[in-house]
Amino acid sequence: MTNSESYVYNQNRIGLNENENAKSSCPCITGIDELDQKLGGGLPSGNTVLLVGSSGSGKTTLSMQFLTNGAKIGERGVFFTITEPLFKLTKNLEKFDFYDKKMIESGMVNLIDLRIISERLGLDAEKYTVEDASALLEILKDIADELDVKRLIIDSITALCYRLQTKEMIRDFIFKLGSSLASMNCTTILTSEVPPNEVKYSQYGIEEFIADGIIFLGDVDRKGDLIRTLQVIKMRGTNHSRTKSAMSISSKNGIELTPLLKSRV
Amino acid sequence: MSNTLIDGLKERVSQAITINTSVGVILPSSNYSDMMQALFEYMSSRNDHFWVYLAISKPYENIVKQFEYASQMTNIRFIDCVSRAAGITNKDPNCIYIESPSYLEKIIIEIMNIFKEVGDQLQKTLIIDSLTSLSIYNDNALVTEFFTHLINRTRLKDIHTFSLAIEEEMDDYINKIMYLRSNKIIKLRESFI
Ligand SMILES: Nc1ncnc2c1ncn2[C@@H]1O[C@H](COP(=O)(O)OP(=O)(O)O)[C@@H](O)[C@H]1O
Ligand SMILES: [Mg+2]
Repeated sequence: MTNSESYVYNQNRIGLNENENAKSSCPCITGIDELDQKLGGGLPSGNTVLLVGSSGSGKTTLSMQFLTNGAKIGERGVFFTITEPLFKLTKNLEKFDFYDKKMIESGMVNLIDLRIISERLGLDAEKYTVEDASALLEILKDIADELDVKRLIIDSITALCYRLQTKEMIRDFIFKLGSSLASMNCTTILTSEVPPNEVKYSQYGIEEFIADGIIFLGDVDRKGDLIRTLQVIKMRGTNHSRTKSAMSISSKNGIELTPLLKSRV
Repeated sequence: MSNTLIDGLKERVSQAITINTSVGVILPSSNYSDMMQALFEYMSSRNDHFWVYLAISKPYENIVKQFEYASQMTNIRFIDCVSRAAGITNKDPNCIYIESPSYLEKIIIEIMNIFKEVGDQLQKTLIIDSLTSLSIYNDNALVTEFFTHLINRTRLKDIHTFSLAIEEEMDDYINKIMYLRSNKIIKLRESFI
């Protein structure tokens, strides 16, 4: 009796933090079935996730699939790119069946080139001061708020930080970005570019501190053939699988996962 | 080759496929082309089945050259694991090309994707041609894991499997998994047929 009473009491206490509760009970589904299964339903809503991988590992593709799948269930999204111009991005996207131009036209998926914004702000395209970066961050937040997006991508945080001159500036910016994202009502993917064949999650070693989750895209060598892999390294608020999956990218289905065969290769 | 031989083979294939969820066929290489003929004739006669043919022994092109009617069948799809690795760049809408026979996970994904779109009124059946050729490109332990995994996944979706192995290319490993994972083993002997 005492036990159940204290249980109820605890429940109520948890109930005080209703926001947190709502967040954890309704995950942000990625729409990539096997990934959602791994995550116990999807990305925890409101989380900031670092999507790590070397060039060509599938970061942009996975992010876009996450956005378009969100749009299909009525969740608006925005994709901030700083690595490639929009025409190039859409040209690659058009090859995938999950992409539908109508999502762009209807404003459910918004693609924004951060370099054009920084140009409009009159910033030096290659070098940012702390003020520049903060101004950019403000605009980014305004856009996200105005569009009332539920899903936000920055592709990539590496390229964004690359424009800052010192480690201190990068650290300050990343923490500012972190608190900014935490105050927004959306689930965020920050892509992080790392050199191939290295187990590290970020270029500057700080990016992971603002992340609630880390997903690592890598590969394994099987007799000279590279097999794409995906692994959830951490995900706050979920009892996620930590096994390595084999990942496939195809025009028809975008990104798909299946358990990686483990026998010695 | 005599028609009675092919008819006899067809009869055995037919019986085994209808009753068992996973059939393993161990045959001498000299009977391989007879088995192919019997199998393709049987497949083309069954409109109530949907077939996925996993081609590892030879490219899709060679198969349809030999059995032209196969390219006209609407209830068969091919997965070709050897063309790309051999530098053959042909394309065919009836066939999915896998870059390398060592992309075993990709093979599983493609097999399951094809069957996912097939209605339940058709009996779904996967032909693996062959486990022994798969073991040319992959370590035995990996082939074992692949086959085990595949059998588990297909059974769950009521997909039958029909796996070929060439006797001369067989070792203890392949022999063991075939016996462990099949409901029925057909062992063809030259003398017998
Ligand atoms: N339509 C496609 N079908 C299959 N694979 C593709 C397709 N488009 C791109 N890819 C693969 O995805 C890779 C690029 O993925 P991308 O998401 O741009 O990587 P990243 O953003 O990590 O650099 C390419 O190198 C290519 O191998
Ligand atoms: Mg990219």
